[in-house]
Amino acid sequence: MFTSIKKKLRKIVFLESKPESGEVFLSQRRVFTVPSKPGLVFVVLLLMMFLAATNYSLNLGFGLTYVLGGIAVINVFYAFRNLAYLHLLPGSARSVFAGEETEFTVYLINRRAHARYAISVGFADKGHPEKFVDIAADSRIAVQLSYPTISRGLQAIPRIRLQTYFPLGLLRAWSTWLADAHALVYPQPEVNAPPLPMSGQGKKAEVPGHAGDEDFAGVRAYQPGDAMKHLAWKQIAKVDTALGGQLVTKQFSGGSGSDVMLDFSALPGNMDIELKLSRMTSWVLEADQRELTYGFRLGQTKYPAASGPEHRDACLRALALYDM
Amino acid sequence: MMKTPLFRTILSRDKADTLLLIFACAFVLLPHADHVMWWVNASCALLLTWRGWLTLSGRRLPHAMLLLPVAILMMACVFLTHRTFFGREAGVTMLVLLLTCKLLEMHAKRDLFVVIFLGFFILLTSFFYQQTILAAVLTLTGLCLLLTAQLSFHYTGVVPPLRQRLKFGATILGLAIPLTIIAFVLFPRIQGPLWGLPGDAHSARSGLSSSMSPGNISDLAQSEEIAFRVKFTQEIPAKPLLYWRGIVMDKFDGRSWSHEDRRSLYRNAEERDWISYTGQPVDQEITLEASGQNWLFALDMPASKPEIEGSSASSIIINQQMETRREQSTQERIKYQIASYPGYSLEANSSREMQAHSLHLPAGYNPRTTAFAASLRQQYQDDLQLVRAVLDYFRREAYSYTLDPPLLGTNSADEFLFDTKAGFCEHYASAFVLLMRAANIPARVVAGYQGGELNSIDGFLEIRQSNAHAWAEVWLEGKGWIRVDPTAAVAPERVERSLNYAVPRQGLAGLMNLSPDGISFFNQMRMQWSAVNNSWNQWVLNYNQSKQISLLNSLGFKKIDWAQITLLFFILTSLVLGLMALPLIRNRPRLSALDKVYFSFCRKMEKKTAARALHEGPSAYLERLRTSLPAADFENAERFLKLYASARYGKNPGPDNILIRRLKTLLAACR
Repeated sequence: MFTSIKKKLRKIVFLESKPESGEVFLSQRRVFTVPSKPGLVFVVLLLMMFLAATNYSLNLGFGLTYVLGGIAVINVFYAFRNLAYLHLLPGSARSVFAGEETEFTVYLINRRAHARYAISVGFADKGHPEKFVDIAADSRIAVQLSYPTISRGLQAIPRIRLQTYFPLGLLRAWSTWLADAHALVYPQPEVNAPPLPMSGQGKKAEVPGHAGDEDFAGVRAYQPGDAMKHLAWKQIAKVDTALGGQLVTKQFSGGSGSDVMLDFSALPGNMDIELKLSRMTSWVLEADQRELTYGFRLGQTKYPAASGPEHRDACLRALALYDM
Repeated sequence: MMKTPLFRTILSRDKADTLLLIFACAFVLLPHADHVMWWVNASCALLLTWRGWLTLSGRRLPHAMLLLPVAILMMACVFLTHRTFFGREAGVTMLVLLLTCKLLEMHAKRDLFVVIFLGFFILLTSFFYQQTILAAVLTLTGLCLLLTAQLSFHYTGVVPPLRQRLKFGATILGLAIPLTIIAFVLFPRIQGPLWGLPGDAHSARSGLSSSMSPGNISDLAQSEEIAFRVKFTQEIPAKPLLYWRGIVMDKFDGRSWSHEDRRSLYRNAEERDWISYTGQPVDQEITLEASGQNWLFALDMPASKPEIEGSSASSIIINQQMETRREQSTQERIKYQIASYPGYSLEANSSREMQAHSLHLPAGYNPRTTAFAASLRQQYQDDLQLVRAVLDYFRREAYSYTLDPPLLGTNSADEFLFDTKAGFCEHYASAFVLLMRAANIPARVVAGYQGGELNSIDGFLEIRQSNAHAWAEVWLEGKGWIRVDPTAAVAPERVERSLNYAVPRQGLAGLMNLSPDGISFFNQMRMQWSAVNNSWNQWVLNYNQSKQISLLNSLGFKKIDWAQITLLFFILTSLVLGLMALPLIRNRPRLSALDKVYFSFCRKMEKKTAARALHEGPSAYLERLRTSLPAADFENAERFLKLYASARYGKNPGPDNILIRRLKTLLAACR
C-alpha cells in the first residue's frame, strides 16, 4: 500500500505518467533539482560562516558568505539549463533472444547555443550502469543503453533517467522519460536442440539423428543461436577465446534441396509451449545458417518455404509474439 | 600499444585538475603565511611541494599510517605553541594544517568537497587579520581559483581548456556579485558577538597606550596607519590648534609616565563645573579605528560627551582631567560626534593644594634637573615667566629633534637635558614637566595626536599613528591648566606642519621621497587611495544593523522592521534572479544569416500556399511548390531555392555576403 501511495505521489510530483511517443522536450516543469549531499554540507558551511562573521563582526566575512550563497544560486541555473530544454528521441531497440541484453538507442538533441556537459543517462531503477555524455551546442548524440531481457515478447523499455551534477556538484538536476518503445525479445533458442526436421522430396524423410551424416563443408564464425553441437570444437580448442579468438561453427553442405518444414503442431503435444517455441527458434536459426529454405507454421501464422533474413525475422517475430 | 596515448591523456587531465586544486589551496593559504608560526609555514610548504611532486610523478598518495603520525605531531606542536586548540590563532593554524593534510588524503570525490569547503572557510578566517580592499580582491581571486578547481572535477568527457574553465568560474562568481550586494545591504543583521570571544580575538593593535616610557611614541611615529579620520562641519581649525587630546599622565615613577585614575574632587561631576568654555564650538565627526583601548580622542577641549552609535551615553565618561573614555575597549571601528572649544579655562578656581598630586616627584632621580629648576625658581618668581624661560632655554640651546634619540640611563631627564640634548616629543614633554614640578608648578603630560592631513579628495582630515604626540600642561594660579608644547619650541615645524616631515618615510613612499604637502602626482594618488579606503571603511566595513536601518530610512522606507527588510530582500533578489535567468535560459542557437533568409522564405511561402514540412529539404519543398504555386511565382521560388541549396550544400558557394545579398533580392522578388 505504501508503495502504491509513493507511486501515485511520484506521478503527481514528478509527472511520471504514461509512455510518451515521439520526440520529447524536457520543459521547465519536467526538470527537477535537489541539493546533493555535498550541497547540504555546503548549506551547513554557509551557516557556520554566517555565525563566525556575526560573532567576530567581520563585514567581509558576511560578504564572502553571501558570495558563496549567490554562487550556490547561480549553480542552480547552470545545473538546470544543463539538462532542461533538451530534446529526446527514442531510437530503435535491438531485437534479441530472451536472456540477452537489448540495446536501446536514445538520441539527445541539444538545440541550444550552449554545450551541455556530464549528463548521465541510464534507467531509473537501481542497479543499472549509467553513461556520461557531453552534448555540444546545437548538435545531437546517440546513447546506447543496454537492458537485460528475461522472457520473450514485446518488452517495454523502462523509464530512463537523465541527471547531472554539473557544474559544481552541489545540486542534482534530473528528469525522467518513459519512451513508448519496445524491444522485441525472441524466445531463447534451445541448447542442443534435435536436428532439423527434414522432409525432402527427392530423399526419404530423414530420421532425426541422421543429419549429422551430412558432408562437412567448412567452418564459419559463430553466430548467436548456433547449435552447440555444431560448434567446431577442435578449431576452438586451438585458439584462446580470451585472446580475441572467435567461436566457429561447422557448416554442412548436405541437405540442400531438401525441404524443411518447421511446424509447431508437429511437436509433441505434451511438451511445454515455451520449450516448443525455444526449439522452433533454434531450428529457425539453424535453417537460416545453413541457408536452407524452410516453411514455418505456428498456429494461425503460416509462412511458405523461403529463406533469407526477412523470412527468418518474420518467423522469429511470430515466435516471440505467439499467444501474447 | 594503441591504448597508451589515451591512457596518458586521461591521466594528465586528472593531474592537471589536481595541480589546479593544489595551486588554489596554496593561494588560499598564502595570506595566512604572514601570521602563523614559522614551522607551520615550513611544513605547509613542504607538504604542498610533496603533494605536487606526487601528482606530477603519478605516484600514490601516502598511506594513512605515514600521514597520521605527521598530523598528530603537528597537532601536538599547535597545542604546545598555543596551549589550546580553540581560540582564533590556534583555530586558524589548525585549519591551515588540516587543509594541507587533507590534500594528501584524497581518495574519493567526497574528499574533494572537504578540501574545497575547508578552503572557503580559510578564506573567511583571513578576514580576522585584515579587511582591506586588497584582502577582498585576494579573497575573490582565491574563490575564483577554488571554483574553477571544483568545476574542473565535474567534467566527465570533454574538458575545456583551463582558460575557458577559469572564465566559467569567473562568470559564476561574477553573476553571484549582484546577489551578494543585495544580501549585504538587506540581509537582516544580528549584532555580534554571539558567544564570548576568545581572549585572542583581537590581536595587539597599535595606538597610544596609557603609559609612556621613552621610545613609545617614536615607535608609533613610524607607522603610517590611520588612527582616526575627522569630518568637520565647519572650517578646519588652524594646524597649531589641532591638538587631539587623549590621555593625561600624572604619575611618574622615575622612568615612565602613566595614567592614574583619580576620584573627582568636584561633587557635581555631571555638570563639569570645573571647566568653562569661551568662543565658538568646533563640531567633529570622528571615525576611530580599532585601537584596543578605551580612550576616545577629541580636539582640545571636548565639551560634550560623544555620541556613539549603539552604545549608551552612560558608558562614556569625561573626567576631571578632561579625558574621554568608554567603558569597553574599541575593538572595531567606531564613529562619534563631539564638540570642542578651543577657548577654555580648566580648574582656574582650584588651588595649588588641590593640584598637589601634579607636583609629585619620585625621590632620588634626576638631581641635575632639580638643581636647574631651583636656580630658575630663584631667577623667576612668577610661574608664567618661568615657563617662558624654560621654553626659551629649549629654543636657545642646541636641542635637536630626532626620532632616533640616544639611549638614556636611569636619570633620563638629566641626561637628556644636559648631555644628549636630542630627543623626541616625549622626551621634551617629560623633561619639561619634571622641570616644572621641581620648580613647584603643577604640571602633567598629555598624550594624543597633533595635526593631521587633509585628504583633498573626500575632505576628511586623516590622523595617522605618526601624528602621535605628547605635550605638557601646567597649572597656573587663576588661569588653570594651560597647554604648553615644549616640542614646538624646538621644532616649530613639527607642530605647524606635521610630524611626517621629521619622519623618514618607509617603504614605497620613502623611496619616492614624497613630501606630504607638495601636490605631486604621487601625492594625489596617495590621497585618492586613502579616500577610496575611507569610503570602503565607511560603507563596507562599518555597515551594520543601525546603518542598514538608516540607509533604508533615507531611501524612503520609514519605520521598517526586520520582517519587512527580509521581504524587501526577497523581492529584490527574485527580481535580479529573474533578470539573470532570462538570458541564461533563453539561449537559443543563433541561426546563420543564410538560414535566416531561408526561414523567412519558408514563412513567406507558408502564408501563400503550403508550409514546409519539418523533414523536407529545399529540393523536395521545391517539387511540392511546383504544383501549388502559379508559374510566375514559382520561377522566383525556384531560383531562390536553387541558389540556397547550392550555397548551403554546394562545394564552392562563394563569399557569404554576396550570396546573402542575392538571396535577399530573390526573396523580395517572390511575392
